[in-house]
Amino acid sequence: MTPPRPGALAGVSVIEFGDAVSAPFCARLLADYGADVVKVERIATGDVARTWGPFPGDTPHPEKSGLFFFCNTNKRSVALDVTTADGQAVLRGLLRRADVFVENQRPADMRAWGLDYGTLAPECPDLVMVSITPFGQTGPCADWHAYDLNAYHFTATGSRYCGHAGRAPLEHGTFSADFFGGYVATAWALGALYGRAAVGGQHLDVSSAEAIAALFTGAQNIGAYAQEGRFERRGGSGMSLVAPARILPCRDGFAWVIALEPAQWDGLRAAMGDPDWAAPEIFRNLFERGRNADIIYTMLERWTLSLTKQEVMDRCQAHGCPTTAVYNIGELVRHPHLAARGQIIELEHPILGTVPVFGAPIRLPDCPGGAVAPAPLLGEHTREVLGTLGGLDEATIDRLTAQGVAAP
Amino acid sequence: MSAPASLPLAGIRVANFGWSWVGPVAGQTLAFLGAEVYKIESRARIDINRTLPPFAEGIASPDRSLQNHAGWAGNGSVTLNLRDARGQDLARRLVAHCDVVLENFGPGVMRRLHLGYDDLVRVRPDVVYVSMPAAGLDGPLSGVRTYGTSLCSIAGLDSITGYDASGPVTMENAFADPLGGIVGAVGALLALFHRRRTGRGQHVEYSQQEGVLQLMGPALMDLALTGREATPIGNRHPLGVGAPHGLFPCAGEDRWISIAVLTDDEWRGLVRAMGSPAWSADASLHTAAGRRAAIDEIHDQLARWTRDLDDLALADELQRHGVAAAPVLNVADLLHHPHYRARGTFIEVRHPLGFTETIYGAYVKASRTVPDVRPGPAMGQDNERVLEGLLGLTDDEYAHLVEAGVIH
Repeated sequence: MTPPRPGALAGVSVIEFGDAVSAPFCARLLADYGADVVKVERIATGDVARTWGPFPGDTPHPEKSGLFFFCNTNKRSVALDVTTADGQAVLRGLLRRADVFVENQRPADMRAWGLDYGTLAPECPDLVMVSITPFGQTGPCADWHAYDLNAYHFTATGSRYCGHAGRAPLEHGTFSADFFGGYVATAWALGALYGRAAVGGQHLDVSSAEAIAALFTGAQNIGAYAQEGRFERRGGSGMSLVAPARILPCRDGFAWVIALEPAQWDGLRAAMGDPDWAAPEIFRNLFERGRNADIIYTMLERWTLSLTKQEVMDRCQAHGCPTTAVYNIGELVRHPHLAARGQIIELEHPILGTVPVFGAPIRLPDCPGGAVAPAPLLGEHTREVLGTLGGLDEATIDRLTAQGVAAP
Repeated sequence: MSAPASLPLAGIRVANFGWSWVGPVAGQTLAFLGAEVYKIESRARIDINRTLPPFAEGIASPDRSLQNHAGWAGNGSVTLNLRDARGQDLARRLVAHCDVVLENFGPGVMRRLHLGYDDLVRVRPDVVYVSMPAAGLDGPLSGVRTYGTSLCSIAGLDSITGYDASGPVTMENAFADPLGGIVGAVGALLALFHRRRTGRGQHVEYSQQEGVLQLMGPALMDLALTGREATPIGNRHPLGVGAPHGLFPCAGEDRWISIAVLTDDEWRGLVRAMGSPAWSADASLHTAAGRRAAIDEIHDQLARWTRDLDDLALADELQRHGVAAAPVLNVADLLHHPHYRARGTFIEVRHPLGFTETIYGAYVKASRTVPDVRPGPAMGQDNERVLEGLLGLTDDEYAHLVEAGVIH
């Protein structure tokens, strides 16, 4: 679907062969900013997200999956049987005319289908192919079967930073590695495409696990571990040496209470009404407060529990203390800030009706992005795309649909 | 690594006023893609990330923070005191030679330094100016004060991270920072595409809240389609699809394995790998719905089975049976695991000051354009090249500005 104004990526043609989150999210970001994105789906079942939901009434239906909707707005859908030679030929025909190919299939499957970069490169020398898998295209785990959970915990992020000592490390509660990998892939795909005239097409091998392992947990720990031979693990409660820096309970939820610099601590004291317990001069030092964390948090909690999280946030912020409320999804959807910024968008879908999505995450005033069209029905644009981008005549398309290679 | 003749962003120059972690990662992303990036900083206000221990060889210095170097690699450094009007003037003169400006201060800070978009567009009319504030440049929350670690509270992510609905568990570092640096780089690249087509620059805005908000997409759809408000779910599938889906303890201190079963095939593989224990034969477990209903019992049984097994060997064994399973790595494992070693995820580099350190390399493997990753910058390492070579200061002028504390 072409947005109503030229986006930053107007004229860029993208083919996506993705499932679930990582590749679909990457291609959706490209679509958000005006690229023409054609999503190739397996003919019988489509993107696996179509089976994951969430569904209205928890009743599965391939056109009613919320996750599919969220990751696939602004795209067209072509349904193909890529396990057949004819289906593979059709997809390769699309790729010969494309600028970018985003996929997250298992490397062994892509090789079996003749859709790996080595096979594609001779006929698509200018193609920027982006593969986003849990472990990447090389290395001993490349062909492992894995989901977001497996990739995320291969990064040491839960081990180091999330969860209580002695209990299991934690994922974020979403498809954290898939989203992160999708963002990383988008940045590198755009870079490779921008310089394509000078350097030619190429293959970008993105491992979601490696991206987080490097950029997040490795960045902050690997230099220290390599030098000192020691490493740390999760503690479960925020920063351990200083205080306050912890999520604390309020009357109606939680707030992230943080005050490190002296001015922030003074702000927190003022927000609390300058209680005597916080008055000692020694407490103006963040490490001294860390050593007295028990009393600091005990007294702070009495205060936070007497207020709503928004009251705690507002009073702290008014006094220069960077405390924030832990918003849940309902509060975010209703939040005046996101409303004022156009971050909650409603789209019409022929089967789901009105569906909300978030706005595009980057604001470009001269070429705005965002969702304008709903996610496509499975194979909705097969005939149209094969006839235009695919360069196939009606008779050929009829034959392919009759043989079950392409959606009717 | 050998540098190819040309990286995709060769010829793009970036003035990076970003600080802490978000801004440097945005600059690094563009640098790994070939841009020439200079972080503008100063001893008048040393970046906090330069002050974090441990230090190389235990010698405390802003040029030796091991935590800092990985995330900053790729950026150069020019030290200008931006509190001095002459420092601001030199910064503006540098921007006249740049394609992209990056910054992640709060709203208004750059304007007060006379380095706002309106100031810089006068010296560089087609400048791509990327601001990366916590919650955007406008809207009721635009003035919010946060730390990277607590930013996920106002983006909702904290509200779904934890063991169960009783409350959130803190991610003990700033996940939003490297993620935001990547998204900020996406913003710069999108605007470069737009500039290439139209000749126009623009003021790009990346609200860090909105980048993380995308990870709440599954929760948004759950709320919209089922009315459920997401709460912490431990390591369970974000949409409740998989069962079993979690971490299970293995032999050794804090060793765990991740196992995710979404399909019947995967379940049968798991049962075979366990040696078909009696409990797994229960007919109710043959369907995904039955397994979801019995997820607690399945998890208990699995934990009893894995408890005495080696996580690495067990992951190999489960993979042979087609089960999505992987070891849960800790920080040390990142450096030693054969998969990351094979991919060269972490590299040892020699710092110009004479020490060696371990940082991450190119975490995306590009088939044609492999960056030559060097250590994070020493303060002011590029002063002479930029201020004399590019801006044309004479030796006398340069020496005078050093003496006056402007080049600082």
